This record gives sequence, C-alpha cells and structure tokens, in this order.
Amino acid sequence: MNRIIDISTGKLLLAFVFIIVAQASSIFYHLGLGRDIAIGALRTFAQLFLMGYVLTFILGSENLPLTIAIFAIMVISAMSIIKGRVKEKQVAYILPTFLTMLVTYFATAFFVSGIIVDSTPWWEPRYFIPTGGMVIGNSMSAIAIALERLFSEMRQRREVVEMKLALGADFREASDDVFRNAVTSGMIPSINAMMGVGLVFIPGMMSGQILSGTDPLVAIRYQIVVMFMLVGSTAVTSIIVMLIVRKRCFGSGEEVLLSSR
Amino acid sequence: MNQSLLEIRNLAFTYPGASLPVFERLDLAVRSGEFILIKGPSGTGKSTLLRLICRLNQPQDGTVLFRGRDITVIPPAALRSSISYVAQLPQMIDAPVGENLLLPFSFRANSKKRAPQPETLYRMLDEFYLGGITLEQSALKLSAGQKQRLAIMRSILQEPEMMLLDEPTSALDPESAAMVFSIMERLNRTEKMTIMTVTHSDYRPETLRGIVYRLENRTLQLREE
Repeated sequence: MNRIIDISTGKLLLAFVFIIVAQASSIFYHLGLGRDIAIGALRTFAQLFLMGYVLTFILGSENLPLTIAIFAIMVISAMSIIKGRVKEKQVAYILPTFLTMLVTYFATAFFVSGIIVDSTPWWEPRYFIPTGGMVIGNSMSAIAIALERLFSEMRQRREVVEMKLALGADFREASDDVFRNAVTSGMIPSINAMMGVGLVFIPGMMSGQILSGTDPLVAIRYQIVVMFMLVGSTAVTSIIVMLIVRKRCFGSGEEVLLSSR
Repeated sequence: MNQSLLEIRNLAFTYPGASLPVFERLDLAVRSGEFILIKGPSGTGKSTLLRLICRLNQPQDGTVLFRGRDITVIPPAALRSSISYVAQLPQMIDAPVGENLLLPFSFRANSKKRAPQPETLYRMLDEFYLGGITLEQSALKLSAGQKQRLAIMRSILQEPEMMLLDEPTSALDPESAAMVFSIMERLNRTEKMTIMTVTHSDYRPETLRGIVYRLENRTLQLREE
C-alpha cells in the first residue's frame, strides 16, 4: 500500500501536453507568452532534474559543508530573482537583503529541522534542505513584493513624507505608513494561504507526502509546522529587510533620497 | 552686535547629473524677526535654497549655521521643529482638518510642546480666513488656497523660530494670495516670526521692512527696493 508508483520517462514526456495546451492558448489569443512558457517549461525540467541529482548525492553523502553550500546557493539564487524583479537603482538594497535572508532562513531551517522535527544531526539534509527551500521560496516572493511596494510608495508619496519631515518627524515617523504597507503587502499571500489551507487547496508538501505513502495524519503535522514557519519567517525577514532598506532611502540629514516619478 | 539667527557661508549645490551648479559661494545672514524675500526667475534655485536650510537637500559645500551651530550637528527632526518649511504645494494627510493641524504633535521632536485646544484652533482658523471650516471635515477636500493657509497655520502651531515658505502663493488666485501675504506680514509684525519666503511674483511687503534679495548668477544679490 505504501509503494509509490514511479513515473516512466514516456509518461513524464506526456505531461508536456499541459505545456502544449498553454502554448496553444497563448498563440490563439495572441498573449505573447509563448517564449516565457517554453523557457519556463525547459527551466523547470532542467532545474528539477539537476536538483534531483544533487539531492540524491547530498542525501547520500551526509556532508555538513556541502549541505550548507547548497543552502547558500539557494539563498543566492533567491536574491538574484529578487534583484531581477525589483528595478531599483538609487538605493543599495541588495547586500542587506541578502545577509538578512541568509541569517533568518538559516535560523528558521535550524529551528524546524533541528528542534521541532528533532532530526539527527540537526542539518540532516533530508529535512534541512527541503525546509530551507520552502522558507526561501515563500519568503523570496514576499520580500520582492514588499521591496517593490516600499520603493514605489516612497516615490509616489515623497511629498507627504517630506511634509512630515518638515513638521519635525524623524524618518521613521515620516515613513511609518509606507513601511507598514510594504510589510503587509508582502505578508498577505502567506496569511491567505493559512486561511485556505485544507479547504481550498492541499499544499504541495502534504500532497507529496501523501503520494509517497505517508499517513495523512502525520502529513498534516508537518504541514502545520510548515505553514507557521512560512508565516513567521516571512514576517521576520520582511520586517528586518524593510527596516534596513527604509533607512537607506534617507540620507544623512534624513532627507528622501529617491526622486519622484 | 546681534548674532544671526541663520547664517549661510559659501554654500554650493549641484543637482546629481547636472553640469552646472544651482549656486556657488552663496552667503546670507538672517537676524531674528527679519522678513526675507528672495526673488528670481524660475529654475534659479530659490526653492532649493530653502530646502538646503532645513536639510531636505544636502549641499556639496558650505556651511549653514542656526543660532551659531552647524545644522549638520543638530538632529534633523529637532532642526525642522525649529525651522518650519512649507512646500509650494501644501500636503495634507487623508484625515480631518483637526487631525492635520495636530499632526506635528504626534512626532517625538515636538513632544514637549503643548497641543492646542479646539477653541484655540477655531480662533486661529478665523485669523487665517478659514472661518467656515470645521475640525471634523476632510482636509483633502479643501481648495488649494485653503490648504495653503491651513499648512501655514499647522507650521505655526508647532511654534518654530523661523518659517521657510516656498512660493506660498504660486498656485493661488489673487484673493487667496492676498490673504496669505496678509497672514505672513501679520505673523512677522505681531509674533516677531522670522520669515524667509521665495517668490517670482512682484509682491513685496509694504507695511514692514522686508529685505529683498535676488538670486541670479548663482548667488544672492541684495536688491534695494
């Protein structure tokens, strides 16, 4: 009963039917998404195969430096995706964002893998890497959304921020609502996911565990931990990144550095 | 000899990416209670000068002293609590008039100042030709002229030592502009408020001794009128 049914190469290629349907829709309705869908499909194929082989190697090796190196590469990749989405030239946000992500994601993965799941050793790749991957993937989107919102609101509302500065506000007071809006906009998808989980959708990890034969009552425990972990790590990382980056939007005289658009 | 309230020495400013400086080697001394009017065509840096004084922009060179202290050693919020700047297009938050007027008192730099009571606010609204307005109505729905007078009143409420008014009448009809001029002159005459305002209009204070400067050739020239 617990035996997982393997997907043969032929059946795997059959899954490309879904991509062909998406391509056909794009052509029929002139959506202009053909190139993106093709690249996305190829990248999914290549990246996951690569990840599969890497994980097979890592899970078998039980090597701490290698596990940490893979974790660091995942964070670097996430940072480069954020950099591609957030087109900001005036404020140096990349280094503080990267360092915050590295530290908080590591702490989260350590807490879940080493303390809640209580794996031995704490960096057991089977737990540490997937946990880190989920945290990074979820929080990466939140940070990108929050950064985009922070920069765009700071520009759009520059006159109001300056009005408050001119009335004696410090930079925190003057940009309080901009900061709040940025953090909440990044947090909302994670919170919505908590509302819908189990009712609207079965999360990927839980589905994966059930498909691989895990008792659903065990799978839900993992999923609850994961949902809480995602919300907590997203909140902490977004808040720290926004606090640091917001400070960088102001100069030495607490003047707004971003020009209006 | 009276010490200047504000002293500018050798100020230079160039916008990022611009080839020519807005001004260089600019000097100015302002004594307490003076009414300084800075004129000059658009684009000569009049607004920039006011923004440099309250540190909303940073100069490349030169010094600004407020009460003899370099403004870069004064915490920015404390400086702006003492030197109040009103922008050319007054900004209001999406809240009632009363909340907008009391906004400065929600900031730590003004925490030792006492927020005025509603009776005081209504009396001042009258003095600022805003008699029909209630503290409960939305500030965003006021006209440009009303917002400008409300912005000046809000600045005064925090009891600054000096006010910087950036083209306060540029967006106003002649009647509203006359009201704003009248308010500025009254503040200077009765409250002894030090005022520096920039304009490219022909206005000059008639009822008091205003000092008129012209900003040209990247520096300030005293103009006899």
